Amino acid sequence: MKLKYFIYSAFILNISLLFSQKSEHLIPKDAVTVFSINNINLLQKISMDELITYDFMEEVHQELFDGSTTGKTLKDSGLDFDQKLNVFYGKGLKNEISGFSFGVKSQQDLFSVFDDFELIHEDYHGAQVYGSFFNNLIIKENSALLIRVEPTMEFIDEMTDSIWYARGNESAFDLYEEDGGDEGEIMDEEFDDENTDETEFPQASDDPNEKNYYELRDSVQLVIQRDQLDSILHELFVKNENLVLSDTRFAEQIQHNSEGVFYMDNSRNLEKSNGLWYFQTVLPSLYQDIKELYTGNVILGDMYLKDNSVEFNIDARYGEKLGSIYEQMNDSKFDKNVLKYIPQSSTGYFTYNVDLRKAYEKAYEVIMPILSDEKNAQISMNVLTIELLNEYINKDALFGTYKGSMFGSFNGIKKIKTKKIEFYYNEETFEYGEREAVAEEDMPVFTFGFSIDRNDIPEKVMKHLSRLTSKVKNMGDYWRMDNAILDAAPVYLINKNGLFIITNDEDLAVYHSNGYGKEALTKATAKKAKKSGFMYGSVDIAQTISRFPTDILNDKQNEMIQSLKGKSGKMELTSSKTDSNHTTFDLKYVYSGQESSAKHLLDLINTIYVVSK
Amino acid sequence: MRYFALLIAFLLFGLSSCIEIIDDLTVKSDGSGTFKYTVNLSSSKVKVNSILALDSIDGKKVPSIDEIKLKIDQFVKTLDAQNGISNVKAEANYTDFIIKFSCDFTNVTLLQEGLKQSVMSMTKEKSIPELEHNWLTWDGNKLVRSIPEITGKKISELNESDIEQLKKGTYTSITRFDKVVEKYENQAAQLSKSKTAVMVKTDTYKLKENQDVLENTIYLTSGKN
Repeated sequence: MKLKYFIYSAFILNISLLFSQKSEHLIPKDAVTVFSINNINLLQKISMDELITYDFMEEVHQELFDGSTTGKTLKDSGLDFDQKLNVFYGKGLKNEISGFSFGVKSQQDLFSVFDDFELIHEDYHGAQVYGSFFNNLIIKENSALLIRVEPTMEFIDEMTDSIWYARGNESAFDLYEEDGGDEGEIMDEEFDDENTDETEFPQASDDPNEKNYYELRDSVQLVIQRDQLDSILHELFVKNENLVLSDTRFAEQIQHNSEGVFYMDNSRNLEKSNGLWYFQTVLPSLYQDIKELYTGNVILGDMYLKDNSVEFNIDARYGEKLGSIYEQMNDSKFDKNVLKYIPQSSTGYFTYNVDLRKAYEKAYEVIMPILSDEKNAQISMNVLTIELLNEYINKDALFGTYKGSMFGSFNGIKKIKTKKIEFYYNEETFEYGEREAVAEEDMPVFTFGFSIDRNDIPEKVMKHLSRLTSKVKNMGDYWRMDNAILDAAPVYLINKNGLFIITNDEDLAVYHSNGYGKEALTKATAKKAKKSGFMYGSVDIAQTISRFPTDILNDKQNEMIQSLKGKSGKMELTSSKTDSNHTTFDLKYVYSGQESSAKHLLDLINTIYVVSK
Repeated sequence: MRYFALLIAFLLFGLSSCIEIIDDLTVKSDGSGTFKYTVNLSSSKVKVNSILALDSIDGKKVPSIDEIKLKIDQFVKTLDAQNGISNVKAEANYTDFIIKFSCDFTNVTLLQEGLKQSVMSMTKEKSIPELEHNWLTWDGNKLVRSIPEITGKKISELNESDIEQLKKGTYTSITRFDKVVEKYENQAAQLSKSKTAVMVKTDTYKLKENQDVLENTIYLTSGKN
């Protein structure tokens, strides 16, 4: 009887655990990237004001930046710290979704923070749905989902155009262009973004019941947004579909007993990539084949908090075909020569060890049959061209020149000499003239090097270039190209010891063309790089990030650098050997200073969020 | 010239680079004269080139060299058509990033008005308050001058964090006459040996801190030189 009672109790417990609402069950299946923090107790002391400064909070700023969070911590916000906090993001062809799901302990406290929400549905299949101007908050039992759904502009435009033309209207843009100015004015607007404030909106039509194009588009946007939200809610609460149930890899990953887990489905990123629209529409069967190639391409990760360090174990998984290419590519012997050219003083460097020849052969074997099956004249011509090139090109020379393995290092900021024009004044009249003078400018010092078997080939190129222009000079141990960087600074090319090195570091070219010797990386560090799979990287954050020239980066890269600024410590990336299913990476961030572990964790999550968005 | 101002703002001050500006004003006894304005960015060409290689910076579109050329040409044409302004020239060296601008004027009022009108004709803004400021007055024997307020405003917007670069930048204001200078009020000014030109030089950091640092009232002797 006791045994029967025990079995019954265990069954009931299992069932209740299985079916009790958990925050992770509120992650929509369209989420492509998810960070799930298991141990959110760590975050209890983080102030809300600090939290909302993170990029991953940007979508909910509107609710939180209204004074309702002042002086409050996460602990005061009604969150249930026994549940996971899941941050998710996904971009599809028709919409972009972002938000959080989390446990709720006190709805009263929660609404003291999210005080702009109004009740929309009191009982939507067991959930309460609240809405604000931008976001929606859905609470079911003890879990909540804060979500923003934004239809893509492409989809809104497509729907608007369809309705606009179906109503018998002419092109809306021709109409406004006639009203607007000439091309010169348009150019002005592009050049001077302040002018956007003055953009003249189209006049309302004579009939107030007839919407102009932009009014129609606003309406379409609103309807689509509502429709897409309804669809997500229907999936979650009526059909009980969510990411945990739709992707077993995520379901398995989220069970891990780490401080946090990370999930990014690259195959769906590919599926929704705007760059592939041509294949999707014109060559659907080829697109299907490419999609198959990417099937199973997912990145899963665990985050562990240790004393003064945060560690990420990342597992990059892929399907068999793509995996077979990666496996061949990463099956390469480490080129020890590169280590001689990375100085101990380097604050950030990486080694990348691949065999492009093997990767090419495997890719040819895997991809060519896919392309050959395509019944399309253009693709057939391309296949023929590739096959002919494959026959005629000297692959020994090609892959002997560029084997694929490389290294790079950032050696700080150095003063470089450039020429400037200065004005000098005649004391008698203060008339002035110009003269050339030497200037010094700060320049980030980078070195990139490639493993090479055929040093004779770049040597030939350089030799001929030096005959064509006086800017290229043979300096014996190295070549110098004057004004090669931004038309102001020289670049040095070192072509020896099985490497072809490009650097703007005069010191390396002039004094260390055979390597740094004792000043090179220590044996212990070199051993780590050698033992790492196809990739190794090390960054001293304070020394590298704070000095990195952000002017030369694009907006996204800049955002990433900004998210790491102010940190101290060291980041190290190692990788495993690659097999046909996966490669694992370990990213270890050892930090110093007084900041709490939680703060470091959030900083890193933020950095990864910015990178993966 | 809001465009011109924008170009100046973007090319010169947005960079927090080491810049050299020379404004050179010649005023003859009859009030006519020549205004020259030179901007020298040659000591920051790495930075300028790196920015020109970008599409945008701080959310603002980076113009191409061709766009800059086009706008300078437009400005020259517009200014040349203004009453009392003639012989407008602009010379730009895009290797060293030196832009020289000069024009002749029949009196300082028309110079200021001409510049204002040219700026306004190139912008959609209905008014630019900085242009209302008169930076030159001349009564035949006394010249009161500062620098165009729009320049001062742009300098005041420079980034404090790049103080070292600002300290290296210079702004030189030269005023020439066909008469001998009797005295001037700015203590930092220098008189040429010929006594017909006054020069005030400062660094861009000081100018950012105090936009009046280049202000000067210059008195000329009443007799012909």
